[in-house]
Parts: sequence; C-alpha cells; structure tokens
Amino acid sequence: MKQKGAIKFVVWAALSVALCVYAVYAHTSGKLDQMYYHSTDSNGFAVNTNEFFTASKEKPALLKIGPADEIRGLMAVPVNKGDRLPRGANGVISKKIVEEGKRAKVEGDKLVVTVPWQIKETKGFKFKDTFIHKGVVTDPWSGVWNVAMTIAIGLCLGFMAEGFTDMLGWKIKKIEHFGH
Amino acid sequence: MFDFTVAGHVVPVFLLVLTGFTVGIVGGFIGVGGGYMVTPALIVFGFPGYMASGTDACHIAGKAVISSIRHRQLGNIDWVIALSMVGGTMLGVELGVRLLNYTKAIGLSGVVLLAASVAVMLGLFIYTQVETQKSHKKMDEDSKAGREIGRDVKVSKIPLFFQSIPIRPFIKAGKARLVISMWVIVIVGVITGVLAGFLGVGGGFIRVPALVYVVGTTSHLAVGTDLVEIVVSGGYGALRQSMSGNVDFMAVFFMIIGAMLGAQFGSLATSFVRGPAIRYILSYSLILATVGAAMRLVYVLTGGTVEWLSFVAVVFTLGEMIFLCLFIISLVWFSIRHQHGKTVPPWVPPLVVKA
Repeated sequence: MKQKGAIKFVVWAALSVALCVYAVYAHTSGKLDQMYYHSTDSNGFAVNTNEFFTASKEKPALLKIGPADEIRGLMAVPVNKGDRLPRGANGVISKKIVEEGKRAKVEGDKLVVTVPWQIKETKGFKFKDTFIHKGVVTDPWSGVWNVAMTIAIGLCLGFMAEGFTDMLGWKIKKIEHFGH
Repeated sequence: MFDFTVAGHVVPVFLLVLTGFTVGIVGGFIGVGGGYMVTPALIVFGFPGYMASGTDACHIAGKAVISSIRHRQLGNIDWVIALSMVGGTMLGVELGVRLLNYTKAIGLSGVVLLAASVAVMLGLFIYTQVETQKSHKKMDEDSKAGREIGRDVKVSKIPLFFQSIPIRPFIKAGKARLVISMWVIVIVGVITGVLAGFLGVGGGFIRVPALVYVVGTTSHLAVGTDLVEIVVSGGYGALRQSMSGNVDFMAVFFMIIGAMLGAQFGSLATSFVRGPAIRYILSYSLILATVGAAMRLVYVLTGGTVEWLSFVAVVFTLGEMIFLCLFIISLVWFSIRHQHGKTVPPWVPPLVVKA
C-alpha cells in the first residue's frame, strides 16, 4: 500500500511539476499575453498599459511612435484593424481617441497620454478601464488552453495528494452514509 | 509580489495562495466553489471586477477537481446523479448567462443580480437553518435516550414528494439509495445552473441544498456529487470567461496551489462529522454571503452615497472566509477530542462521529 502510494505520489508529483514549470514558462516568455490579446479590432496604437499607469494631465507619458515586433517601455506601435499585436502589448489606443485629443494625442513622433491605464473609483467596486485590453481581440483558443491547463493541474495535484496520504499509510476509509 | 500581466496588476503571491487555501477548506467541506468569497477578495487585491469574476470561475473548476478526487476516495460521489445532472447544469448555465446579458442590455444587471442573490440565499438560509436545528434536536434526543445516531439525520419530508413523482424514466442511484424520476434531477440541474450562470458563481450553495432537500441524498453525498457538477459548471463558465479575456491564468495557478492543501483538509474533515454539521456550515456560509450581498444592494440602491457600506461588505466577506475556516477546524478538533474521551462543548457530540 505504502509502496504503491509512493509510486503514485512520485508520478503525479512529476507531472504536476512539469505542468507548473510549463505554466510559469508560458507566463515569463510572454506567450500567455500574446495568446490572449493577439489582434486588434480597431485602428490606432498598440501599447503596454502597464508602462504608463502613473500618467496624468500634469505629468503625461510620452510614448515613442514607431513600428516594432515587441513593445519595450514607453512605445506606441501603429496598428490597423485585424493586425496581430506586437509582443508585450495589452491595449490599443484607438485612432478616434487620438483624434479627440482628450486622453491621448500625437505630438511629433510621440504619443502623449494623459490618463493612467486604469482609474480606480473611490466609490465601491467600480473600476473604469481606459486602455487596458481595449481595442484588442482575444484568441478563443486561449479559453480552451486555460480550462484544459486548470483541469490538468487540478487532476495532477489531486492525485498527488492522494498518493501522498497513501504513501504515509493513512487509512482513509469510505464513509458509511447509512450506518452509524 | 508578482506581475499578473493579463489582469494588469501586481499582487503578493501569498495572498492568492492564502485565498485558495481558505476557500479550499470551506469548499471541500460544504461542496461549494466559493465564488461569492473569492471574487470580492480579488477585487480587494486590486483586480478589475470583470477579471476577478473570470479568474474566480477558472479557479473554481480546478479546485473542484482536487476536492472531487478526495471525495471519490471517501465515497462521497454518486456518479449516477452527477452524470444525470450534467446536461441540465450545462443548459442552465447557458440560459443563466443569456439572462444576465439580457438584464444588462436593459440596464438592470446590478440591482437584479444582487436582489436575486439576496432572495435566493436568504430563503435557502432560513430553510436550511430551521431544518438543521430540528435534526440537531432529534439527534440530541436520540443520543440522550441511548439510541444510535446515523451518519446523517434529516427531518425534511420534501424529498419524499419529489421521489414520488411518477414520470419515466427513473434512475436508481445506488450510493444514495434512492429511485427518482430523471426529470427531477435534470430540472434541478437546469434551475441551479440558471442561478449559477446568472449570478456568475459555481452554484454549489444552491445545488447542495437542492440535492439534500429535493433529490434526497445525504449531506456528504450532496457535497461530493456537487463538486463534480462544479467541475462542469465552473469549467464551462471559465471557458466563456477565458474567451472574453477575463481570466489571468497565473492568478488561477497560485490559487489552485493553495486550494490543493485547503481542499484536502476540507474534504477529509467531512469524515469527522455528521450531515447536520455540514448543513450548519453551509447555512452560515449562506447568511454571511447574504448579508454581504444585501449591503452591496443597499449601496447600489442608494446610488453609492453610503460609502462605508461597501467597505463593510468587503470586510464582512473576507471575515466570513476566516470564520468558516476556524469553525471547520474547530469541529475536527472537537471530534478528535471526543474520540479520545475528552471534554467537548455539549452541542458537539451529536454533530461529530465517534470512530
């Protein structure tokens, strides 16, 4: 019993570790972000909203405009509807907003942004987004990946825990539902 | 600190692991996903509302898988009922989501959603509390009279009515020892699914009482069977939310790590108690969630003018997580003491199992 439990624990623990490493790799390599937000549904500028969360009218963020495969720091990459987002982008400032000039406007080769990526309202739970995840289309397969990974990790961790208690020799009996 | 790039927020990892752990204990014990606890917690940590809701749905599915594995080992799952209900649950969740979108389209979502939550949870709380107290009293009397007490005691006669509905086909649930029209199971799945989809939760806090008081299973079987349903309803909800980009997988990942430990404790704790103990914790969980939702409803109805209500609602919701965990841990502790012949409070013996 203990030996079987040990084998079960080791096998499922190895699978759990492999899945966890893959999940962390997907995050750190940027694959996860790209999988989620991979194309635009409006014309405008792809940006990484995390880079200018402190922007304000008094202290606007100046994003350098130019084509790039990856957004690093304060950059704004011109995109057209349907384009694949550059790596690191998580929002699109639409052409309409830039033309209005209230929250963002073009000055020379710079995109001047005067609002943060997220405004946390003081009243209750209301959060008002400005640019994050706006103007982008989610890859529907990311949903399948998410659920499959979640259930796979759940299964591995669940069986690993079961193997662990078996390995320790804990006698977990079935409950007698109709007995005493 | 960890940068959750999809959610666009930086949050300490231990907070997410701790949330997963505490909700894992409660969820493993009473068979709920804990969506009404995790979503507010994520919002407090700084996740945008839509992201908190989506991330929570995905985490619920993973946690339910972990708990289901342990409940399978404990023999707490009736697969016949679980599989008969799956179709109804899926249909119900889809109908619930469409109903939510409709109410959103006509500008009613906030008020309708909260009012529906409060009404459903309050009704379930009152019935569960009254029935469980009567069961507790009956067990106390049996105990004093020297009669043996079963693993589960119920005084509700409602299941007998539903089991007598003569519409074919019938299903024979061997583990739950009952024969019932399959349509009752399907309709229970649809109704609880609609509520789950509409309220954006796994639906466990509605389905567990439905399994006990409508279908007529024992509390332990309701917990395990419901967790299988949550894998389906949570997984489906997670799929829909993920396709809208509302899930940060890394946040899900860290919460599942915490839930792995919590769910083991919560699931194993069911073997120390009798059915009414599970129903007590379920009812307390319901009333605490009801109060939290009611405060948010008042806040919305007053146009957000009573700002302290929102703060109290958050504190209340987080407080309930801690309270329920401590209650479950104390029940296990008292059960062990009782098994060793040590002194325990007088209300404990009928609720725990003496091995």
